Amino acid sequence: MRTEQVTDAFALRTRDLTVAFNGDRALDGVTVEIPRGVSVALLGPNGAGKSTLFRAAIGLVEPRSGSVELGVDGVAFVPQRLDVEPAFPVTAMDVVRMGRYREVGWVGRFSARDHELVESSMRALGVDDLADKRFGDLSGGQRQRVLLAQAAAQEAELMLLDEPFTGVDRPTHEALRGLLRGWRDEGRTIVVATHDLESAARDFDLVLCLNRRLVAFGPPGDTCIEGVLAETFAGHVVRVGDLVVDVAHHHHGAG
Amino acid sequence: MDFLIDPFQAEFVRHGALAAALVGVLCGVVGCYVVLRGMALMADSLAHGVLPGVAIAFMVTAGGAGSAAEPDQVAIAIGALVAGLVTAAATSVILRRSRLREETAAAVVFVFMLALGVVLISRTDGYTVDLTAFLFGDVLGVGSGDVLATAILTVAVLALVGVLYRPFLLLSFDRQRAAALGLRVDLLQLVMLVVITLAVVIGFRVVGALLVLGMLLGPPAAAALVTRRLPAMMALSAGIAAVSAPIGLLVSWHLDLAAGASIVLVPVTVFIVLLLARPAPR
Repeated sequence: MRTEQVTDAFALRTRDLTVAFNGDRALDGVTVEIPRGVSVALLGPNGAGKSTLFRAAIGLVEPRSGSVELGVDGVAFVPQRLDVEPAFPVTAMDVVRMGRYREVGWVGRFSARDHELVESSMRALGVDDLADKRFGDLSGGQRQRVLLAQAAAQEAELMLLDEPFTGVDRPTHEALRGLLRGWRDEGRTIVVATHDLESAARDFDLVLCLNRRLVAFGPPGDTCIEGVLAETFAGHVVRVGDLVVDVAHHHHGAG
Repeated sequence: MDFLIDPFQAEFVRHGALAAALVGVLCGVVGCYVVLRGMALMADSLAHGVLPGVAIAFMVTAGGAGSAAEPDQVAIAIGALVAGLVTAAATSVILRRSRLREETAAAVVFVFMLALGVVLISRTDGYTVDLTAFLFGDVLGVGSGDVLATAILTVAVLALVGVLYRPFLLLSFDRQRAAALGLRVDLLQLVMLVVITLAVVIGFRVVGALLVLGMLLGPPAAAALVTRRLPAMMALSAGIAAVSAPIGLLVSWHLDLAAGASIVLVPVTVFIVLLLARPAPR
């Protein structure tokens, strides 16, 4: 009798996860188990279900069938972009403080440590000087950094980041890479949705190739290869660093 | 200075001013979420959705056609609350079972409840009088018992809003973030509708169902123009709403205008003045 390998140390696990909107399957029978303490690049074209996987993980969309399960206590989620009314009355610091609400509770007071976490997170993302600015008055890049500071302040074990590198300036890009490395070295689990093949292969422990179905999941050496990528990006254009590759025309090429 | 004091010599004006100020503070605070979440139509729907409940309570306690019995105010409040909750729940169900926008779902329920209410009320005697009182309130008919009840309920709902401050802020700011922080956003959304319903039920007898929306929207919209943080917005909104009551009654007294409507005109006027006075946004 074969004993199945049991690992309780998963951060996020889905079993035959199917999510559909109006009959269109955004995710179709995805079974995957992301272990704790690794960094994962979630790779796939637009419409591959990357955001849907995140939204299912935090319970914002109901699976049509199958299940999604968190193996950790806290999860931080940084969406691709946030449409907030410009006049919404919160300051940048208020937004970062929200990251502590789960720990502090509905009516609990912020401890000295909570305040320190908020401040150190804002310093780490270089937004400490924006603390009293209204969130809606910030630029897109500044908002993104404030939201990342919020995620940092949350001290979550699982960090889900949806396209964090899209549309950020060079310094933010570098700061973010350092931040991700730091989080991973602290033993957190990081899942980053991205189009960027080069970064996926270079900066992450594992790569999850998604195109509504699970195409592949493993180390970059096993996943960032011609056949897998062709299937993942079938019919789409891929960005490899500064190079743009049209997979639809490319995947019958060299090999 | 007498013209400022004269109207308030009469006890019924003092009671009306106090009740309207309490309702104003409550609506001014709760209304901040209505404004921030863009739920104006939903709030409107809740305000009118209470009508069938009022009508049924009226018919049951006043005994229907030909009866001389006075309608029971507690029954009317309960009827209004139940109908408001039905409105909120029905909207949630439509939203979940269809992929319609919230404003469409709210409007469908709104029209249904309003028409149902009018149909029910048309079966009672004194149809016109009751409908007018429902739509426009009876601020000068508020008794001392009503003031006390309004005060207690206002404090209770404000305490609830205080406890729910952080969840409501998260929900208003970003649903995804609220969900990621472990909140049940669907449930929380329903709780928010219930809180708005409570404000409507407490408020409609004073300023009327048509104008309770004015107190839910006017003061927060005015406050939103000049504040940067939610606590400041809530405080300013409550302040504007509270002073609107005596100012509106003064105007109504001297110019012989409808009392409830005069009260609601004040925060809207403040909104317009602030809008014109502040520098245009970049």
